[in-house]
Amino acid sequence: MSQVAAGGNGRSGAVRFTGTREELLGIMVRGYLGMLPTLGLYRFWMVTAKRRFYWSHTEIDGDTLEYTGSAMQLLVGFMMAVVVFVPIYAFLFFLSTQSREWALVGYAAIGLVFWFLIGYAIYRTRDFRLSRTLWRGIRFDQRGSALGYAIRRFLWSALMVLTLGAVYPFMAGNLWRYRYGHTWFGDRPFGFTGSWRTVAGAYYAIYAVAIVMVGAILFDLVGRRDYYTRANGSIVPNAPVVLLGLVLFGFLLFGVYFYRGREISRMFSSVRIGDATVTVTVRGRAMFAQSVVYVLGMAGAVIVFAILLGVVIGSIVSPLGGNGHAPQTAEVARILQGSLVNLALLVIGYLALLATFATLAEIVMGFGYWKLVAREAQISNVESLKTVRAGAEDKSLVGEGIASALNLGSY
Amino acid sequence: MEADFLARYADGEVAEMRDVVCRQAMDGTSAVLGITDLSARQELVRWPVSNIFPAHGRKGELRIRAGDRSTGARLVVTDRAEIARARALLPGLALKEKRDRRRQGAFIGASTAVLGAIVLAYVYGVPLLAGEIVTLVPPAWEKKLGDTVAVQMQAALSKGSGFAVCDPDPNSVANVAINRFANAALAGTGTPFTADVTVIRTDVPNAFALPGGKAFYFSALLDKTETPDEFAGVLAHEMGHVAHRDGMQQLISTASTGLVIGFILGDMTGLSVAGGLGTTLIDSRFSRTAEANADRFAAETAKRLRFQPVGLANLLDRVAKDDTMTEALAFLSTHPLTDARRAALEALRATDDATLPPAFTDSEWRAIKAMCGTTSTATPSTTPGTGSHETSPRTPSSGPSDSERQRDKGQPGA
Repeated sequence: MSQVAAGGNGRSGAVRFTGTREELLGIMVRGYLGMLPTLGLYRFWMVTAKRRFYWSHTEIDGDTLEYTGSAMQLLVGFMMAVVVFVPIYAFLFFLSTQSREWALVGYAAIGLVFWFLIGYAIYRTRDFRLSRTLWRGIRFDQRGSALGYAIRRFLWSALMVLTLGAVYPFMAGNLWRYRYGHTWFGDRPFGFTGSWRTVAGAYYAIYAVAIVMVGAILFDLVGRRDYYTRANGSIVPNAPVVLLGLVLFGFLLFGVYFYRGREISRMFSSVRIGDATVTVTVRGRAMFAQSVVYVLGMAGAVIVFAILLGVVIGSIVSPLGGNGHAPQTAEVARILQGSLVNLALLVIGYLALLATFATLAEIVMGFGYWKLVAREAQISNVESLKTVRAGAEDKSLVGEGIASALNLGSY
Repeated sequence: MEADFLARYADGEVAEMRDVVCRQAMDGTSAVLGITDLSARQELVRWPVSNIFPAHGRKGELRIRAGDRSTGARLVVTDRAEIARARALLPGLALKEKRDRRRQGAFIGASTAVLGAIVLAYVYGVPLLAGEIVTLVPPAWEKKLGDTVAVQMQAALSKGSGFAVCDPDPNSVANVAINRFANAALAGTGTPFTADVTVIRTDVPNAFALPGGKAFYFSALLDKTETPDEFAGVLAHEMGHVAHRDGMQQLISTASTGLVIGFILGDMTGLSVAGGLGTTLIDSRFSRTAEANADRFAAETAKRLRFQPVGLANLLDRVAKDDTMTEALAFLSTHPLTDARRAALEALRATDDATLPPAFTDSEWRAIKAMCGTTSTATPSTTPGTGSHETSPRTPSSGPSDSERQRDKGQPGA
């Protein structure tokens, strides 16, 4: 029954994920059906069920994780977040009544506040999840300050804009270090050995090639006007430029996936839990394949819904035009505005479309990402974790707070 | 069958799992679960059976915790046969699972009921609520708001080039007559606002009032307006919105509806289209009441200012009948014409008081019809027998005779 007893320094523990897409689909479908009669309140139970699914199917060195959070905690956290958002909402309303210039300035300010709050929410959410994650009877925890993290993330993103993204590896290194530098497993601190160098090579290689190509295109468009092909007075870029643009698009598309795989693998592999080392291998092409499946699925869903919509509209309009003449404007107008049932159906149809998209994203992307990370993950020197003792429990967190109001959906 | 089962055990203190065998035993008078290390053959701990609860594990796995949620101590049973033995030994587990499910269900039910009650109270309370709140809004602020909205609408309607005002001279016969009528309609209502009606040139047949007294009458609607009754009816109706501060109420109700929808959908950022649709659903209730009240205001005004309120219904009918879909929808979505509404307007027919001057004199009406220059000079229609005035080539045949009848009865001549 047990292989743990064997012991020995440097033994690696494998990570295994045993969940299936069918089980997750069942959770999602039950969740969305449950949301209809409960006016959406069931979403907290769906999220909880989803997390239990992911956690309980993740096996590390033979023992699974357990998610101990409850839906009620999320609901209470949401209520608290609403209290934060009502004044913001009131301010938005006030802005909408002001002159255009002031409204624009105000919206920009609110946008910045939201961007800041998202950083806060990311950290709080992480804290909530880690403190409700149990492995071998010991809890994880996130310490550090959510406010501090939000400020860092905010300032880094400002630098990102100013440097046109050139500062990204430094931002990534810094934020990963902050997150893992404050993560604990029981009384054992996590560590992060990575830095900007961990991802700089891949990032700057792609960045440099992209810059050269963009530069070439700009040079051709602006610098060599005589190369334009003019057709009936309009300016058309010549064929080489179009070709270069396509190559750039393709390169960026693949580059982004290649880079994402690189970053996830290398950054996760820089994580330490005391003396134990994490190794993760995720390939960009696998992530790309998932995205393709997702996009195709979305397209399929849109087509199905469009056909349904066409059938419904056709069945409303056709009896009006039945006796040869075109449907009367007034009659159509009366049907559209007269019936609350039609409007309600429209709302429900729209919600169904949203639910389909969200389910697709979860089944393909969410599940896929979790599985990819877990698939080839290893924890070396896993025996060293046997001496970890329980830490002080983090009781301060009631719910996820702002995160649940901001709709930060993943996992 | 021996009453025991095999499991993996974590004590919640150290990150280690041991293989254990669990046996039921008695500790004095209470039942306990003795947990014994399988290899060391040594009892590790005794859990009181009453204090054992189910925890969540994956399918085909039984997890058991002792004590409150904060403890990390767990028993994990993975083998099917062992799970069956454990469940047989601890029948309380299934009962507690069932109880927990019932509790969650009750909690969901109760909170849904509360949320539903809030939404219902809200839907039926919106007119009252907005009506109360609107009295707290300073008129000066509402006026400023109306001006802002006018600027926004101007930008949206004319793509930035500004409104094409039909008659920019505020002292022209038409403008003086229109604003005299509009302010006479508002007189005695106690409203803090002054009417400011502008006729502008657009292809859309519409008329609307903004918070604070500004109102707009579009040239395309003026083209379709055949009698002073119709014109006065629409103007008085819009002044009703001004006097009732409907625009402001609508704004308040839309904003608070967005909040409720955001709460239901859990999307406080309010960006979702579903939120917008839901808002429409709830607000349409509100606007129907407002329209009916504005009609009543028009009818009351008709008694003082001598015109027939049913002209409003005739004009709505005509716009609905002879226009292309998009144009009609613009006007009808804000002014839905129902049979009930027409009936109400007809019932409110003013008793004609010949001692009062008519709403508009012949020359005034002629000036108003001509102010946008889109139709040839219209003959005054207040005189009976002068016939219909086809301002729109698409006017249906049923329209004129209908409105003519109204004119014959209501306006015996100037």
